[in-house]
Amino acid sequence: MNIRKLVWLEFKQHKSQLISGLLAIVLGIAVIVGIRSISVVSEKAVAVNLDNLGANILVLPQASNVDNYYSADIDAPTIPEEYVDRIVASNLQGVDNLSPKLTRRTKIGNETIVLTGILPKNEITSKPMWQQSGLLGNNLMASCAPTNTANQSSGYTDEKLQRKVIDSLGGDECLVGYAAASKLKVGEGNNLEILGKKFKVARVLNETGTVDDDRIFIHLHKAQALFKIPAQVSAIEIMGCCNAISEGLLGKLRNVLPDTKITTIGQIVSTQIETNKMMNKVSLIFLIIIIFVGGISIGNFMWANINERRKEIGMLRMIGFNKTVIYRMMLSKALVLGIIGGIVGYILGTLAGMWLGPELAGLPVKPIASLIGISLAISIGVCLLGALIPSYLAGKIEPFKNMQEV
Amino acid sequence: MILKTTDLCKKYEHKDGTVKALENVSFEVNEGDFVTITGASGSGKTTLLLAIAGLIKSSSGQIQINGFSVNGASDRKLSDFRKKHIGFVMQSFALLPYLTAIENVMLPLAISKLKKGQKYQKALELLKMVDLENRKNHLPQELSAGQQQRVAIARALVNSPTLILADEPTGNLDPTLSSDILKLLKKINLEEKITILMVTHSPLAAEFGNKKINLENGSLN
Repeated sequence: MNIRKLVWLEFKQHKSQLISGLLAIVLGIAVIVGIRSISVVSEKAVAVNLDNLGANILVLPQASNVDNYYSADIDAPTIPEEYVDRIVASNLQGVDNLSPKLTRRTKIGNETIVLTGILPKNEITSKPMWQQSGLLGNNLMASCAPTNTANQSSGYTDEKLQRKVIDSLGGDECLVGYAAASKLKVGEGNNLEILGKKFKVARVLNETGTVDDDRIFIHLHKAQALFKIPAQVSAIEIMGCCNAISEGLLGKLRNVLPDTKITTIGQIVSTQIETNKMMNKVSLIFLIIIIFVGGISIGNFMWANINERRKEIGMLRMIGFNKTVIYRMMLSKALVLGIIGGIVGYILGTLAGMWLGPELAGLPVKPIASLIGISLAISIGVCLLGALIPSYLAGKIEPFKNMQEV
Repeated sequence: MILKTTDLCKKYEHKDGTVKALENVSFEVNEGDFVTITGASGSGKTTLLLAIAGLIKSSSGQIQINGFSVNGASDRKLSDFRKKHIGFVMQSFALLPYLTAIENVMLPLAISKLKKGQKYQKALELLKMVDLENRKNHLPQELSAGQQQRVAIARALVNSPTLILADEPTGNLDPTLSSDILKLLKKINLEEKITILMVTHSPLAAEFGNKKINLENGSLN
């Protein structure tokens, strides 16, 4: 016989009371777990869609005009190409891909074309800085979305709408946007003379409906040579993890490159922030409800239990159980309630999420193991909080309540 | 001498005026005594028992048990003192309905540092002593009133107390069972040398004591 066994035997005696006392806390935890299970999947889906839009942060010289995000780099002043290394060296979390560019308008025949020098992925990854930062391989292309495969399956199914990373680009090769190819009447394998140099059209890009359709892409270092702007770029495009952007990635980048203008696609960030905020608000509201309702419910259960057991507690006090032991008994009981409430609430919430997730968010929901810890913490916290006053009052029960006369 | 009360007073404030439950009660109890406290209903018998156990605070006077001053001791010290030195036997038995006989006997040991096996052995020996070994796994509602009181007596003995305070231990029992319980208490008093202070309104039960205290309106008669 010890305090733990005494608490357990008393629990077994009052099983029905236990169930009714736990109801509010279990339901509250289940709702929080259910919402969180769905919202985690939904946030990931939003991130996948946003990542598929392509680069979402633009590093520009201070003097550049950012009225139009998509054409801000055209004819912009320049910044050193070495800034790419600085970003990589800073090892900032959430920088998933980088693309330095030099963009200028130029005449090809009678047509004015936007010529953009880019650095293909194979050259970026070969930079020593990338190797030092450990962002090689999969990490380079990783985003806040779960995986690359998931990107494709959950994002745009139409390949034409996906903005792809250019893996390699030879010094005498060019990629021609869909509209530019039409204007210039060139196709894959044709030659194109740009600023007196011959380039072979390696590929005509699919129509995207963006300014990229009007561009011709050549190797960045070739463009720097053609425009006589060595080691300079007009912009650095960054694919930033959407969550990281909403958590202040832009500010961190500004600290790394203080003499630049760093901008992002406003609605992308605001969409992510609003989604996160809404989910967090809903969870917070339920957390407040559970603290109040669950706390009051547990407090009420404990108080009813203590009232029913006044004589028993009085007798325990009489035979030598001091106030601390009584508090300990009551709080142990609350702890057990909290553990049961947390586990049952987690299971119910997860099942509800798995059932309702496909209905509400159109996404399959899987159990999130980390939520068991949060469920337990909330449930135990609420139970202990609700049991505080009843436990204190139980300790104050006079031992002589058992005696025949006073 | 195991117990000494000196000018013990207990007053209650009531809307109709002050009620004097105990007034200048002084007496001594020697080790091994079986003291019976008698008196009419409302004479202050149980108040005296409660004050001795430190379960209510006296208004004035002194209570000494084995050199321990009950007056003014903290709740923790009093709880500790009761746990180690006092056993209680109540009229209503005060057994926990969800514990078996042996678990009820072990209850005071729940806060002791004895090992599980030691607690069990001690409780079992006491159940043997009160002839209830074969009922050790019975819940209180499965026992007769007399058996329940014997379990309560075993529980009172489990901490090897120096003093047993019994409040109308036969109040809920028929004459035959009452006699059995009183004989058991007497046996414990004589064989275990445990001092017993028993409140009773029954003159027959009072005869079991070697020392008698009679209270009348809170004063010794």
